[in-house]
Amino acid sequence: MYALVDCNNFFVSCERAFQPELEGRPVVVLSNNDGCVVARSNESKAMGIKMGTPFFKVRYLVEQGRLVARSSNYTLYGDLSSRVMSILAEAAPRLEVYSIDEAYMDMDGVAADRVPGICSDLIKKIRRWTGIPVSIGIADTKTLAKVANHFAKKYKGYKGVCVIDSDDKIRKALALTPIAEVWGIGRRGAPRLEAAGVKTALDFIGRPVEWVRGMMGIGGIRTWGELQGRRMVEDERDEKRKSICTSRSFDMTLTDLDEITLRVSDFAGKCAEKLRDDGTAAYSVAVFLQTNRFRDDLPQYFPDAAIRLDVPANSTREVVAAALRALRMIFRSGYEYKKAGVVVYDIVDCDAIQASLFDFDQETRDRDDRISKVMDLVNTSGKNVLRLATQRPGHYSDGIRREFCSRLYTTSWSDLLEVK
Amino acid sequence: MSAEEDKKEILSPMMDSGVHAGFPSPAQDYINSFIDLNKELVRHPAATFFARVVGDSMVDADVNEGDVLVVDKSIEPKEGDMAVCFIDGEFALKFISFKDPSGDGPSVKASRPGVSYSILERQRMWLLPANEKYPPIEVTDSNDFTVWGVVTYVIKKVCTR
Repeated sequence: MYALVDCNNFFVSCERAFQPELEGRPVVVLSNNDGCVVARSNESKAMGIKMGTPFFKVRYLVEQGRLVARSSNYTLYGDLSSRVMSILAEAAPRLEVYSIDEAYMDMDGVAADRVPGICSDLIKKIRRWTGIPVSIGIADTKTLAKVANHFAKKYKGYKGVCVIDSDDKIRKALALTPIAEVWGIGRRGAPRLEAAGVKTALDFIGRPVEWVRGMMGIGGIRTWGELQGRRMVEDERDEKRKSICTSRSFDMTLTDLDEITLRVSDFAGKCAEKLRDDGTAAYSVAVFLQTNRFRDDLPQYFPDAAIRLDVPANSTREVVAAALRALRMIFRSGYEYKKAGVVVYDIVDCDAIQASLFDFDQETRDRDDRISKVMDLVNTSGKNVLRLATQRPGHYSDGIRREFCSRLYTTSWSDLLEVK
Repeated sequence: MSAEEDKKEILSPMMDSGVHAGFPSPAQDYINSFIDLNKELVRHPAATFFARVVGDSMVDADVNEGDVLVVDKSIEPKEGDMAVCFIDGEFALKFISFKDPSGDGPSVKASRPGVSYSILERQRMWLLPANEKYPPIEVTDSNDFTVWGVVTYVIKKVCTR
């Protein structure tokens, strides 16, 4: 069985965890630069505020005191996410973290009748320990677990846990599920199906397999089978790399930061290229340096440091910038370095990254993608003809609007919660 | 730049060196010998947060402005615990008590028609400061109240240089 755990209105819930006075009030979280609405509380949804609404359109509500806005505080959201995931990892035989606020627990090996109880306890525990409310959908396939999760969120009566574990329940749930809400179809795939008379997920599974293949190809058949309780979406991450390391010994020892910066930039660029090849992105970028351990007449130093990114990255620019930040943290002069390496890890599928996350500063991201693609093309010869001019880190985060940002409660000593 | 070196991909080397700790370094074997304050002071990492004391409501308990609190949200509050409470829009550092501080009042709430309490909810609760300047507060149904977390340690800087 799969249990899909999804944090309710995650960004808003993170803000509320440290500002309980926001409970019950309409709250929105804004994108980078305070551009548009990327997360809403139930109360602000009820006011009719849509996802992606430009902030200037609802600013007057904030000024009138009818709406609370917060700038996005990814550092905080990332920290709370890893707390939630660590609690889940302890409870499930296997955990697949799908995005910052979603994870699949693979409950195979646990008696089916115990799963709902375990999940109810988890909801209480996560709320108590982290302040974050979550909902859980349980079913035999991931696609159905997603449907179940939707019901768990929508109807209070489920108390956060919805189980779809019989053919009868499947049919009832699918009849109430508009085709556009099905995982793998979505708003993009829905219009064609609706035009052909498929309004609900139940209509969809009623069509013969040949019809589905003709309409949507192999991907459609997967979804079609999954909705009927047949497992067809495997854990893709198993086939993909969990971390990627590019490291190399230097021809001669290096002492100069500029020289090492060049090498580390190359290694980071390689890692970014591999991420793009895999269709993945990484949350963490680490750098290590090593002196020559066979030269015990020389001082030895084997430092490493890791940078955790707010949003997973696979563009050359972002990965290189993070690697150079890490390098500057560990580099000390006076040593003869023999080897350096870059490791990217905490890898996620690109399509698992919430659309809303990728919307942030879309222009920069698109530009990065274009630059990266050109670099990939030119560099396919195996020689790194094109590389980035090394930039000062922080250059890109400077000047970003964050008028309503909460504190870095969990990561900065000067930002701790204050208690009277 | 040999092709072999290029292909070196380590599968998940991070797992055994802890969350965000980077990756194994050649010195990893020796790291266990450190005393790790995090391990000692943080029993439930997922539920533990730090907070800073502002003001003087707990001075008689030797908790002063600027001290750092280790707050564990996973712990069920009990009589006498120091806790970070959230009451009517503000965080307050108090001792939790289920006994009437004025002496011998009842320890359960007066029953009200039409309201059914669970055993826990029937229990009367007081928030006690450690400074006679401030009075104890009884938490009632009209308060917006939660125990945010129980304080497990107070970290105090004693050298002012």
